[in-house]
Amino acid sequence: MLFPTFYVPGLGQGMSIALVAVVHVLISHGFAIGLLTLIVLMEHLALRRGDGELEDLARHLLKPAVIIVTAVGAVTGAGIWFTVSVLAPQGIGSMLRVFFWPWFIEWIAFTLEVLVLLPYYFLWERMRAKHAGLHLALGWSYVAIAFCSAFLISGILGFMLTPDGWVQNQRLVSAFFNPTFWPQLALRFLGGLALGGLFCLGMVLFSRKPAAELRGQVMRLLGGWVLAAGALAALAAWFYFSAVPRTYSVHKVFAVLTSRLSQEAWLLWLGNILAVVVVAAAAAAALARLKLAARLLIIPALILAVGLVIEFERSREFIRGPYLMPGYMYANQVPLARGELLKRRGMLSQAAWYAAQPPGLEPRAPAGHALFMANCGVCHSIGGLNDIRDRLAGRTQPSVGVMVRRTEQMVPFMPAFSGTPDEALTMAAYLYEISGQRRSIDAAPPIGREGGRHE
Amino acid sequence: MNNLHDLLLAKPFSDGAMELLLFGSFALHLLFVLLMLGTAMIAVFFFAHSWLTGYSFELRWDKRVLRIHLALKSLAVVLGVAPLLIIQVLWSVPFLTAAALLAPYWLGLIVLMITAFLSLDTLGHKMDVHPVRHLIFGVLGLTALLAIPAVFTAVLTLAENPDKWARVAAQGLGSEPGLVFHWLMRYLHILGAAALFGGAFHFFFSTKGSEDRHYHLSNWMVVAVLFQVVVGVLLLGSLLDRLTPAIIAAVTVGAAAAMVLVGLAFYRNPEARTGRMKIALLLLPVILVSMLLARQFLQHEAVAPVQAALEARAQTQRGLLAPWKATALRGFQAHLATVYDDGETIYANSCAFCHGDDGRGGGPEAAALVIPPERLDAVRAQRSYLYQVVAKGIPGSGMPYFTVFDRAKLERLLEHMNQRFAVASPPPAPSSAGDAAAARKVFANTCATCHGTDGRVSRFGADLRPAPPDLTRYGLTPDRAFKVITRGYDGTVMQPFAQLPEATRWGLVSLVRGMWQPGPGGS
Repeated sequence: MLFPTFYVPGLGQGMSIALVAVVHVLISHGFAIGLLTLIVLMEHLALRRGDGELEDLARHLLKPAVIIVTAVGAVTGAGIWFTVSVLAPQGIGSMLRVFFWPWFIEWIAFTLEVLVLLPYYFLWERMRAKHAGLHLALGWSYVAIAFCSAFLISGILGFMLTPDGWVQNQRLVSAFFNPTFWPQLALRFLGGLALGGLFCLGMVLFSRKPAAELRGQVMRLLGGWVLAAGALAALAAWFYFSAVPRTYSVHKVFAVLTSRLSQEAWLLWLGNILAVVVVAAAAAAALARLKLAARLLIIPALILAVGLVIEFERSREFIRGPYLMPGYMYANQVPLARGELLKRRGMLSQAAWYAAQPPGLEPRAPAGHALFMANCGVCHSIGGLNDIRDRLAGRTQPSVGVMVRRTEQMVPFMPAFSGTPDEALTMAAYLYEISGQRRSIDAAPPIGREGGRHE
Repeated sequence: MNNLHDLLLAKPFSDGAMELLLFGSFALHLLFVLLMLGTAMIAVFFFAHSWLTGYSFELRWDKRVLRIHLALKSLAVVLGVAPLLIIQVLWSVPFLTAAALLAPYWLGLIVLMITAFLSLDTLGHKMDVHPVRHLIFGVLGLTALLAIPAVFTAVLTLAENPDKWARVAAQGLGSEPGLVFHWLMRYLHILGAAALFGGAFHFFFSTKGSEDRHYHLSNWMVVAVLFQVVVGVLLLGSLLDRLTPAIIAAVTVGAAAAMVLVGLAFYRNPEARTGRMKIALLLLPVILVSMLLARQFLQHEAVAPVQAALEARAQTQRGLLAPWKATALRGFQAHLATVYDDGETIYANSCAFCHGDDGRGGGPEAAALVIPPERLDAVRAQRSYLYQVVAKGIPGSGMPYFTVFDRAKLERLLEHMNQRFAVASPPPAPSSAGDAAAARKVFANTCATCHGTDGRVSRFGADLRPAPPDLTRYGLTPDRAFKVITRGYDGTVMQPFAQLPEATRWGLVSLVRGMWQPGPGGS
């Protein structure tokens, strides 16, 4: 607890980051990479065919894309960083030091991306007459730089699941080109292209702008595009998940369905198959220029595609389980070696900041509460998502103590408790007391009563 | 870098070089921030102006001004990446501490930025909306936009006042009026600079030589300069105790340049002011650089010692942490090698510490529990019933729910437990039938209170924590059943019945065995 950490009431840490991150992924992948690549491609085709109408359509699509990318995409990208800065200051402080140079180069890449995108957007009309080729070159340069920034980010994200050699040698190259780097880069890029195709299809289908003939041509292009990019993205996803160590990947069902639905794994497969089928059907309808069918299918296809994005990000974030930086830091920002030290020296004596006691919480137990927030607060809340009182409802006091001592061993995605045995008891007593209020409700009915077959 | 036990001690290069990089990248970022803010102010102000004066003002000049906002804001945002990166590495403790203490506002930045950018850019690129709607979105966007620097200046102000952290953490920013005054002046100074720089930018790039626009913008900038002088003096007043020679020198250069600018603006003959402003504006880069230098010197004086002290403390901790590095790595490798997928691994890690490796209920944590863990080697139950116990846990006991594992894993766990302990096989019949008549009487009079007349839990029993098991689905080996009847089950309402004749107790074992039913799919 070198830094004060802010705990988001209700939503909790993970969901707060996820909300910002999912919006960012949808826009950065779907718009900044996918849709913009398609717009440049359309311009390319238009110039080659001398098709002014197609160029108009591409230009017409660019305006909302640029506004959304710069106003929401860039802001949510910085927003993820803003969010983790206060939710996991020690984690981000450490990550920035491992990846200082990629991050710094990313700054240059982002700046270049904007510096190319702005004239591409503002000067299209003016360059159209005499400098059409140069304008197109700007467009393709943008796509290349956007790919570079995805390249830089993938190294950092992959590291958080599979740091591999870095744990031993602490070399940036090992950290960056980690085992999931290439499959993740491929998945993000191809997934972005497919998603961009779906967004573009939606815009073209519901826009009044293009004439029927042109709309048909573009639908055909986009249908094929989504099918091809989607199939390749699925292949990349398969490579990605095969590169993830089994220790992590075995938690995939739980990661998505949580303890509420973990026993119904078929829901996950059904959802995935449904998403693939509906997206493919929408793309096929577009390929066959069936406007009505494509219009009916594109909305559910987009919703399900967003679901796939959420599923992927949630899995990736969750399955690394107890670690924020595997081999170095637990999810609760305690470095592994420091955790060992804290088990002997005590966590509270080493803490620069105590988490503040929320008002109205009985009984007032500042030490127990501080230990809970520091150890468990990154995933569990009191009174919000993943409420610890629901998790412990019905347990006896000594069994809460046992679970605190055995977290890491009992549930493979929970970090170890970083504190002395005395502190473990303090926290267990506090948790037992606050979850005792839930005992009359009882999350699970006692066994033997189901089906109402009692006297 | 071999700093694996404390990455916060790792630095990419020297502090001096990082400060230099911070200065350069921040100046670039701030320049576009000022232009962006100023552009929005001017656009909204001159829209209101032209609307109130009946659109006479050169056919909505504000359209042209606001259109460029998208570009300026995009650059302001991306250029902010480098200074944020460097300050979080160079002065991580002061910066991240201040951000966390002001977290709700800091997180609010995301909402403010999206609101501001979407409102203003949609207006800037889809102009012909109804004037009232235009005014609403313009004011909404501008308000959100102007709130953004309020948050950043507050975070930096707090970062530069480490002695106030504890009090602000406990009582909020309002508890430090001096700090609030300094922040307010700092914030207003940014707004004034934005008005001035935005004015200068559009003076050169958006007026297209129009005298009318030059005239309006000159007036705008004169007001901005005067505002800056007043706020700047107050801001300096809030910093008197912190001034060093370097800071005084930088502020003096900046102030002198500003004075020349004011002089040129007010020199006799206001008719020629526009021309003079063109010259005066060349002073703006001097003012920006010198004021930003003063800012950075101040920041260095305030936060560098704090960061250094914390790093020194971390250095001393380094020795303490070193011995645990190997232990931690071994733990991590062991975790990586353990795949919680098969029944054997899950039993060994998630069950054995209570139920014991041998299933006899004697795991290392068993002694800590008031209700002893069940002896699994004695359990004989329907598999579907066991699945429910494992998935849902037993309220009122130490047995937690295990839906942290998906169904396939729990089934494999049960399979493993069945192979080792035969938990899902039918309970064998006892060798002695005992006194069946006495047992029936005792069961009906006593046991049925909780267990129900037929072994299914009674309404009363179902309210117990832990509730008794359903004897039609859950049984024990005869010896174990006899022992539980004789000695009771510690920590539960199941009391010892040692006073009953042995034949009656064996009779109860038989009776209960007779209640057991194989499940739908065998056992």
